[in-house]
Amino acid sequence: MGKEESPRITRRTTRSSCSTPVANNVVETMKTSDESLTTNDLVFGEDPITLDDLLSSFPSRRAQILELVRLLGPSNSPMLPLFIYGGPSTGKTSIILQTFRHLNRSFVYSSCLTCYSPRILFESILNQLMLHRKNAMNGYSSVKRCEKPADFVNFLREALSNVINNLMGNSGKLNTKRLVGQAHGNTVYLIFDNLELVRAWDKSSTILPFLFNLYDVLKMPELGLIFVSNTSPDTYYSSMGYIEPVPVYFPDYTEDDLRQIFMRNQANRKVYSSFLDVVLRPFCRITRRVDELSTAFAPLFAKYCEPLSDLGVVPREELKRRLFSHLQPHIASSLNEVFKISSQPSPEAESNKEMKQKGSRRRFAGCEEIDELDFHMSTSAKYLLISAFLASRNPATLDASLFDSMGGFDNRKRKRKSSQKSLEQKETAEQELLMKGPGTFPLERLLAIFQCITSVAEGSIDEEEQENEGLGVQRGDGGLMSDVLLQLSSLCNANFIIKGGSCPLEGSTRYRSTVSEEMVLKVARSLKFPLSKYLYRR
Amino acid sequence: MAIASAAAESLTQGTPETTENDLQPFFVFHKASSRKSDKKPTGTGKTRRRIDLSPSSPNKTEKSEPDKAGERDEHCNEHLRTEAFELVWSKINSTIKDILRGINTNVFNEIHHWVLESFNAIQSFGTPGFTEATRSFPIVTDANSKLLFTGMVLTRNMEFVDDLLTFEDLGLFLRSNGCHVANLSSLDFSAKSGIGGCLRGLLRQFLKATLYEADISILASWYREQENHNTPVVVIIDDMERCCGSVLSDFILMMSEWVVKIPIILLMGVATTLNAPRNLLPSNVLQHLCPSKFILGSPAERMDAVVEAVLVKQCSGFSVGHKVAVFLKNYFLNQDGTLTSFIRALKIACAQHFSMEPLSFILGGLLVEEKQKGEKSGLQPEVVLKYTSQLPSYARNQMAEQNGKSLVHGFSELRRLHKCWSTVVLCLYEAGKCNKIRLLDLLCEALNPDLYTSRASNNHVVLEKDVGVPMATDRSIRRKYSTLRKGGFIGQIVRKVRDLPALMLYQLLKSWEKTTVDVLEIHEKVKDLQSLLRFEDGKLKPNVDDISKKHSSRSPLNMEKESKEVNEKAAALIDCLVRDYLRPIECIPLHEIFCFKNVEKLQLALIGDPRRRIQVDLLEFHKILQCGCCSKSGNVLLPSMHDTSIMYSLAQEHGDLINLHDWFQSFKTVVLHPSSKGKHKSKQSPNPKKRKYSHDSENKGEASIQARFCRAVTELQITGLLRMPSRRRPDCVQRVAFGL
Amino acid sequence: MGREKAAKEALNLLRGRLCDPTFVFKPLSDSPESNYSKLKFIISSSVTEACNNSILLLGPRGSGKIAVLELVLKDLLLEYPDMISVIRLSGLLHSDDNCAFKEIARQLCVEHDLLFSKMASFDDNSQFMIAMLRECGLAHKTIIFVLNEFDLFAQGKQRVLYSLLDAMQSITSQAVVIGVSCRLDADQLLEKRVRSRFSHRKLMFLPPSKEDLERLLGHILSLPLDSTLPHDYAVEFNAKLQNMLADEKFKQTIYTYMNSDATVNHLLRFLFRAVSYMDLGSGFLALENFKTALPNIQRQPKLECITDCSILELYILVCMKRLEVKEQNSYNFNSVMTEYKRIHDTFQTSDYYARNVCLRAFEHLQQRELICFTDNRGHNQSVEFRPVKLLISSYELQQGLKSYRSCPVILLKLMDREA
Repeated sequence: MGKEESPRITRRTTRSSCSTPVANNVVETMKTSDESLTTNDLVFGEDPITLDDLLSSFPSRRAQILELVRLLGPSNSPMLPLFIYGGPSTGKTSIILQTFRHLNRSFVYSSCLTCYSPRILFESILNQLMLHRKNAMNGYSSVKRCEKPADFVNFLREALSNVINNLMGNSGKLNTKRLVGQAHGNTVYLIFDNLELVRAWDKSSTILPFLFNLYDVLKMPELGLIFVSNTSPDTYYSSMGYIEPVPVYFPDYTEDDLRQIFMRNQANRKVYSSFLDVVLRPFCRITRRVDELSTAFAPLFAKYCEPLSDLGVVPREELKRRLFSHLQPHIASSLNEVFKISSQPSPEAESNKEMKQKGSRRRFAGCEEIDELDFHMSTSAKYLLISAFLASRNPATLDASLFDSMGGFDNRKRKRKSSQKSLEQKETAEQELLMKGPGTFPLERLLAIFQCITSVAEGSIDEEEQENEGLGVQRGDGGLMSDVLLQLSSLCNANFIIKGGSCPLEGSTRYRSTVSEEMVLKVARSLKFPLSKYLYRR
Repeated sequence: MAIASAAAESLTQGTPETTENDLQPFFVFHKASSRKSDKKPTGTGKTRRRIDLSPSSPNKTEKSEPDKAGERDEHCNEHLRTEAFELVWSKINSTIKDILRGINTNVFNEIHHWVLESFNAIQSFGTPGFTEATRSFPIVTDANSKLLFTGMVLTRNMEFVDDLLTFEDLGLFLRSNGCHVANLSSLDFSAKSGIGGCLRGLLRQFLKATLYEADISILASWYREQENHNTPVVVIIDDMERCCGSVLSDFILMMSEWVVKIPIILLMGVATTLNAPRNLLPSNVLQHLCPSKFILGSPAERMDAVVEAVLVKQCSGFSVGHKVAVFLKNYFLNQDGTLTSFIRALKIACAQHFSMEPLSFILGGLLVEEKQKGEKSGLQPEVVLKYTSQLPSYARNQMAEQNGKSLVHGFSELRRLHKCWSTVVLCLYEAGKCNKIRLLDLLCEALNPDLYTSRASNNHVVLEKDVGVPMATDRSIRRKYSTLRKGGFIGQIVRKVRDLPALMLYQLLKSWEKTTVDVLEIHEKVKDLQSLLRFEDGKLKPNVDDISKKHSSRSPLNMEKESKEVNEKAAALIDCLVRDYLRPIECIPLHEIFCFKNVEKLQLALIGDPRRRIQVDLLEFHKILQCGCCSKSGNVLLPSMHDTSIMYSLAQEHGDLINLHDWFQSFKTVVLHPSSKGKHKSKQSPNPKKRKYSHDSENKGEASIQARFCRAVTELQITGLLRMPSRRRPDCVQRVAFGL
Repeated sequence: MGREKAAKEALNLLRGRLCDPTFVFKPLSDSPESNYSKLKFIISSSVTEACNNSILLLGPRGSGKIAVLELVLKDLLLEYPDMISVIRLSGLLHSDDNCAFKEIARQLCVEHDLLFSKMASFDDNSQFMIAMLRECGLAHKTIIFVLNEFDLFAQGKQRVLYSLLDAMQSITSQAVVIGVSCRLDADQLLEKRVRSRFSHRKLMFLPPSKEDLERLLGHILSLPLDSTLPHDYAVEFNAKLQNMLADEKFKQTIYTYMNSDATVNHLLRFLFRAVSYMDLGSGFLALENFKTALPNIQRQPKLECITDCSILELYILVCMKRLEVKEQNSYNFNSVMTEYKRIHDTFQTSDYYARNVCLRAFEHLQQRELICFTDNRGHNQSVEFRPVKLLISSYELQQGLKSYRSCPVILLKLMDREA
């Protein structure tokens, strides 16, 4: 079917793209990609590296690399499926890739993150095996169209046999005269990365067992399967079992490993090692992931280096002490920060800066504190937000007492009553508040509360609105009431209120406010609204 | 109202591009209000009557004189006014657009610079060739090479209507600076379409082709195919908050894997706070982002800029009265703080003005600098004079002699006064800037006619409510300055000017000099005051920071005195400026031609308040269907009334919960005991439904009453005033009562 | 040098054997009561007597069902050339009827070199299959349908099975349906109409006995003397192998390994690992290879995950454990945080971190699958309100903490208190 499919796609899209900018580079696409791919494109591509380079480029991964090389075995030797697993950013992917660069064998890599659906996964594998390249000429279509595992197996079998024959032909030539950049051996390896994502595809009913059984289905000794996953093999057990592949485990880096890793290609090793002495231990208690640590260290190191005149110095003890005391205050703050947003200073200030200073910019934003509301909301939206918050926080039974005419005056009595509650009751109440989170409420309750607080807060509005009194339709609450539903919808859009059900006509939909308390306090302050009076504290 | 809105429509049709490009997003949001303004029947009824009462109205005059000529004049007058409206509005619109663009430019430049910078950062991780980039496996150089540069653009407005245009402009700007740009919105990140949806959106915008299996590798090969594969790829997401979190995080993860091959740079519009991404995305996604934030101008600033350009500086002759200004301000502050709606309100005001005011076409004439409008306007001067004679203000100050000369003179006079007014307002604004006084508030105060009159005649008619802020303590000042008698913003400003540090005062005077440059008499005053100041800190001109040093070297008190007296002078100046020149347009003859004052119409057109309207109509329905039968019967319920309204007025007696049985009984009693007059009347009641009922009113069976009852209940439910019986209380319906 | 080369060749040979089940199962198939003989008898009889038949091969995963079947089919194809055509289906690929019939038609076309049209509809294919069955029956050719993962065909409407077995009811047709499944109750899954047409002949595949196991080891690991390998090397290799096999420690390793799972494929994985550790310098298998292979193949993922955790994550785990011990029926991130704070207040621990950092650690645990949400709906609610549960037993947690280097003392103390 794919055979009839692909040319039609090509025709259509080239026609459609004749008018578009794409059209003019169709021409020069030819010269970029018309030298068609060969089986040599299945190897890593760059010149192979020796085993020692491989080991040195990945500090403290010696054992794993050696084991991998052993399991992959000498060229042309069959292999049972491998299963490489270990936490994120433990070097699984890059090590397996570099290993193949070292062995210089043909492989097909496909990440289940990029290939987010079975069809795309299958087609990307087939494209690579059939040496097909998507470009403007063929309308970015893939060589075969296949969605079902059954079709995939047939296509894959034929594609693999072609490739393997080619490779054998090459190796036949190989012993006569050496060709550079040619694959060693005629085994083809399929690498599936981010396998853990596949479980979410179709609840792993078919695809996952299929992948795990692919080796037995195909029964080709020249095929090697390698699965790379973040999660351990026991998380893959499903109702229908499968023959477990051979596991290879990448443990997380220890503190010493991390030190070695961060010490790699540093300009001034002395300074950096003294820096690591300071920061590495406390941070390792929180996380040992390389990526998270490096994002945390970049700004800190920039901070650390600030007192230094030139970065080339060899730090003495007292210098180290000075630098440490300089860094000390910032460690705690960045320990407790996960996501820092850098504010952008004026362009001319930093027209000549490189990446390292970027971190220092982040730091400025990290410690800034916003005390008043820093974005615009209309007054009615503010009142609506407050009333939604109240509706979510207060038990509905207390509305009558909280929002009576005198503006929640006997609130205090209530409080006394609640304080007389026995302790374990408080405990349970606390507990279920923690569990349930903000409560839900129907639209009517929200609007009732809204009316109450607006009518109470009349005075504050009146000042800016006294001219407005005389105007016909406009009423006491300054028309705050009018199109309040629109305000509600825009609050929902801003994720301040989450909407439950579906049909807004009958009152069945329930809402839930997700806004944090300090946020609401800001809003109330901007309105000079006595929020605490209405808040029911357990 | 009907006339006004209809006219508004007809006029707006004249200028299609203006309608679609600034009203369109607004309609999306405020469907309710706009729809109501168009087709609420009572609105028309009421306002038509109101129009008839209003003194300066075309309809009335044309009724008063039946002859052909009048109508013809009327006709071509209409035509002229339409033209004038198009002229004026297009002018206003273009000005607003320029202003907004001007506000954004420097932020845009910042963003562009940042984009280039981060693009270089990405390039520093390696620039793969075609084959490397189209490989399936990632290029991993180090941990930072998976960072995705992300700009958080804070729009600082919960409503993001205004920012749709902003982000479009941003996209165009970056495109013009040679980036590949794709504008995505939250619709592309819906949970339904999933990650495939937003990839498809990307490919559609970059490749100009729709592909069924959207694959990021396609984008990579496309990018490398381009001859310009050394330009950044910017992806703009309008409204981050509204995206589906899981889809967005998938997208980010995927992009971060490809960022070395495709230098993708994210720009995300954040409407509320910087915490929004934290709440939306899990931490393992967040740490792939390398964020930096940009802050757009807050809506209040934009608003001030627009107000300054349009209402104060008078880009077009059109201006608004005090009440209208106040209404606009409250509408902006209370209803929804979008500039879009403000502009729309302005437009409606403009349209209504031109549709009501016969002489408004003169505006257009003046706009194209046609001084003598006599032969330009197709209708004879005496008609013009007749209209003008009806203008109350014109009648009030007796410019009795009836000739065009005086009219022309009147116009020029008006323009001059208004120019002075705007200059003074700008001066006040300059002074008020240092303590954050919004131009909008200032405008409302400056336009207030009775404040002006009270200022002119120094009597102390000041309502205590007027005082926005605690007033200055010492009475001496209050005696000295007329403006200080009343608090409000002007008083604040004058007080502020009195105790301004010398340096700031100096800068303030400079800015005044700039603003007042084309109004001579004010300019002179500012000049000599400035010379005085410059003379006295001539020696401390050269550099600024040693003012304090010099002063400290001197004896503190006399330097105190010097700067003090300059301050006094400045305050006196601004005070007298306010007293003499701050003359609101409504206190100038002939202002009706230029100034729109009718706030009720605007209100009706803008604020929908539909629920309330529905209830009002149900209660006093006879205003709509003006049948003779029920209108005079005060609040006794007649069977000839419409069922639904009977039911609703009956429901008024009940509380929140209405017992269905009681309700039905009372309904039945009302329907079954018709006063003979009501029945007889209802024979020729216009409503066909009614006639049918009264037709078989003799043999009204229980069933038909029940049917009518049920229909009425359903109608009430559909209008959203009732909730159907719940499972707990099957015998009661609940009133969803609010708004009235 | 020559030794190196020979060793490499030997390694390739061994790996090749380990990856090729048919080779492995050869020695198990000579005895007359072996599954091999039974199966061969059944099929060959149905071929010679030109009758229909259906069998189920049942047995745990990796007990060599398919391998034995392939051996049988290979021999039969040699014995009765062009009287047999084999159609192979797998429940993983062809569980839905459309695919199945398409695949059957495709393979039939390949077998009888006809032209297969991809466009053929469902009905076309089924008609085609029935027609082919009749034709083959008339031509006295047996079609053998091998249905791997038989239980997957049994889910759904079972139209494939039904139409297959139904077609076989006619006298003219001549086919054998061989179902292969690792579910011992596979035939219970069939509908009535299918089961009635199915002959309930079953073959059970059991794990090999000890002596079988030892024969197997010798058979797999010893090098052939008549090959390109240098003869003396092979002889020396085999000699070393023999006395290693005789070694008690070796037997112990094998048996401890086979205790968990006695199937042959399980053994093969172990051998593969051990063989790939073979030292190419000396070129001989040594006991160390097997000893090192054992822990590498028998992993304890949960313990690894716990040792990977950072200290903060350990804290969170312990807090959750404490909550569980308190019989708190359900808890979420907030309650964990209150517990965390309580611990900090009582013991003044040095590591007390901000909420968002803890949330990140919480999410790390989630990615490690040490914890998970109890409900998978309620996405409109934010993470810290969704109830969670531990996925590890308190014993595992305790072991993990003990094996964790530089684990805070307070955590151990808390856990001991729980225990």
